[in-house]
Amino acid sequence: MAIPIEMPKLSDTMEEGVLSAWLVDEGEEVSSGDILAQVETDKATMDLEAFDEGILLKKMIEEGDAVPIGQLIAVIGEEGEDISDILSEHDDGTGAAEEPEPADESSDDAAAQTPDTDAVEEPVGDGQLSDRTPEPVPAGTDAEGRRIKASPLARRIADEHDVDLLQVDGSGPEGRIVRRDVEARIEERERAPEPAQTPQPAMETPSYDLPDDEALYESENISQMRKTIARRLAESKYSSPHFYLTVDIDVERAVELRSELNELAEQQDRAKISFNDLITKACALSLKNHPYVNASYLADEGEIRKHNHVHIGIAVAIDEGLITPVVRNADRKGLTEIARETRELAERARNRDLEPEEFEGATFTTSNLGMFGVEEFTAIINPPNSAILAIGEIRDTPVVEDGEVVPGKRMKVTLSCDHRVVDGALGAQFLDSVRSYLEEPMNLLL
Amino acid sequence: MIPKSAPGPSTPQSEFQIPHSNDMATLQFREALRAAMTEEMERDENIFLIGEEVAEYDGAYKVSKGMLDQFGSDRVIDSPISELGFAGLGIGAAMNGLRPIVEFMTFNFSFVAFDQVINNAPNMRYMSGGQFDVPIVFRGPNGAAGQLAATHSNSTEALYSNFPGLKVVAPSIPDDGKGLLKSAIRDDDPVVFLESELMYGMKDEVSEEADYTIPLGTARVAREGDDVTIVAHSKSYHVALQAADQLAEQGYEAEVIDPRTIKPLDIETIVQSVVKTNRLVVVDESNPFASVASEVTHQVQDRAFDYLDAPILRVTAPDTPAPYAPNLMDEYMPSAEETVDACRRVLYAE
Repeated sequence: MAIPIEMPKLSDTMEEGVLSAWLVDEGEEVSSGDILAQVETDKATMDLEAFDEGILLKKMIEEGDAVPIGQLIAVIGEEGEDISDILSEHDDGTGAAEEPEPADESSDDAAAQTPDTDAVEEPVGDGQLSDRTPEPVPAGTDAEGRRIKASPLARRIADEHDVDLLQVDGSGPEGRIVRRDVEARIEERERAPEPAQTPQPAMETPSYDLPDDEALYESENISQMRKTIARRLAESKYSSPHFYLTVDIDVERAVELRSELNELAEQQDRAKISFNDLITKACALSLKNHPYVNASYLADEGEIRKHNHVHIGIAVAIDEGLITPVVRNADRKGLTEIARETRELAERARNRDLEPEEFEGATFTTSNLGMFGVEEFTAIINPPNSAILAIGEIRDTPVVEDGEVVPGKRMKVTLSCDHRVVDGALGAQFLDSVRSYLEEPMNLLL
Repeated sequence: MIPKSAPGPSTPQSEFQIPHSNDMATLQFREALRAAMTEEMERDENIFLIGEEVAEYDGAYKVSKGMLDQFGSDRVIDSPISELGFAGLGIGAAMNGLRPIVEFMTFNFSFVAFDQVINNAPNMRYMSGGQFDVPIVFRGPNGAAGQLAATHSNSTEALYSNFPGLKVVAPSIPDDGKGLLKSAIRDDDPVVFLESELMYGMKDEVSEEADYTIPLGTARVAREGDDVTIVAHSKSYHVALQAADQLAEQGYEAEVIDPRTIKPLDIETIVQSVVKTNRLVVVDESNPFASVASEVTHQVQDRAFDYLDAPILRVTAPDTPAPYAPNLMDEYMPSAEETVDACRRVLYAE
């Protein structure tokens, strides 16, 4: 019994995976638990494990191919076994069989019209069809990689007008999207303009002459991670109404407390605490008291989900982009635990070695650019969170106390709030709570 | 935004103006064909007509009525029942400088002469390195017509279009018949000119302009519309016009295009129309497999894929031999109702 191996969904945001390396060759035997290949998702490079035993009969894709979730990537079975059934089941390269078009009743030509496929087969000279190589995910597939039925004209108009076919209801046979459907969508949008439709200004080529041997630009392929960052953050920025609240926090005491705690840590051989760990803890305790900030606005479900746990995502810059490892239940963890966990997660993030459960499920996120000398900035909310805290550097600055100008330590933080859930006053109360914890840092230890 | 096509006032067939001079006469289709042959034979003494019953009997369908008296038995020649023979004679004559018109009593009989028509006529220029022209016209009725049964009812246009070197013409109205037959006679290559028993009696206005010809390979847009394109030639063209009238009553404006010449095919005119309407139905009375409808469909999807809002549908005879019984024959031939139905399907009409 031949077994199809499909591209698995390895993270909640993954739509396609790149097969970065095959670890088993065709004809080799595999057992349950063997690693067949490595797959690059939008977040990490992960092992693709075999759950069955047999011979790897056929690899359907090459190293470097990007394919949607559910697409056939290999077949395991007994030696010499016929795998044509599996191949034809996955014939359209998407793992989802399509309904054939209705046959033309006006002629009795009973030759069944077969559904078209996205992969074009090029005839070669001997009349044999060349091996089909899976195409990258074509535009017009849904999240599961299934083809959206749409007429060629509808697809073209959608492309020209930047219409997402996923947002269009098809009125043709079997839900085929046709011209009138896309036009209706465009009209709807014109009546109620959506953001994100402004075309980017065209790149101007320099007017001065460059030497012939000097390239005007370098191109690189967009990585899975970059695609995901682009999609999710654009969605966030365009669909959730952000507003921003900034406070300047007196961190003199927190800095002192941290150095005292780290002296102890050194003596007792414990993990050192970073200033960011104090902020994580302050946010976690404040979230506990402000459930609407620790919430998600889920438009599709028609609900606001207040989370019963506090999981803080911490934005970590890595070479390929950005990832947010999650400190779970941060409100219940001590500073030392948070420090140890954060350091370990950040390290693994940089090595692209995080498991999905380590970077998914944050209920709130912090982003710290203080180490780069940034005084203050605004961050884009990490969906489905309702807020994100942008942390600036700790500054030595003159402050006025009792009518005297004295040296002080200050840190500006900016809370970006999703106004669908968090109103101004609520955001301000939450921020005030974070400030109180950091200005009276002993409370973090209680 | 692609402009929506708002149903406008329809263009009745009678109001359609054929763009040429006002010098018109009302003629039957057979008379228009006769006028074409007579005018050309008067102009060029190398032209002669040969076939079964073309002389003494005035033609099986009276197309050559009176031509024996006018041109004599050297130029209007009754042949024995020997298609392979007189077709071959015609090709030999053409290679030697004459310009024969070979009439088949029905195009199913051309199959007897198949070797001459498809092996010799179209290949001679090519295989002789251009030393020989074959300026010959093979003409006669083609396709089903009433109760003639399977052996007299084949539509041969797709078959003959399959052989490089043959031109294939299939007019639908008397004026096109005249203008295209004159062009076919003047062409230096072999032309298969397809008529129909059912159309010989059709009357319509025909140009009497001196030296009136219609170039081969030019389609005629017979009716303009924005909603759906219907391509149809020969008898099917009249089915298409009826369908267009019925569609107009339902608020849809069909553009009807008669390719007139199957090979060379004026695909540009068809594609331009599909780019406008985004929909295509081909009406073709041939059997469906590898038919003219197949070819038009292929070429349109190749050139106008991104303009198609619906699959291309065709209305054809079924994939069976033609029946004899009249009630079955009615079922067999493409009808206006089937055409309307196909158009409504590509229009996604509720």
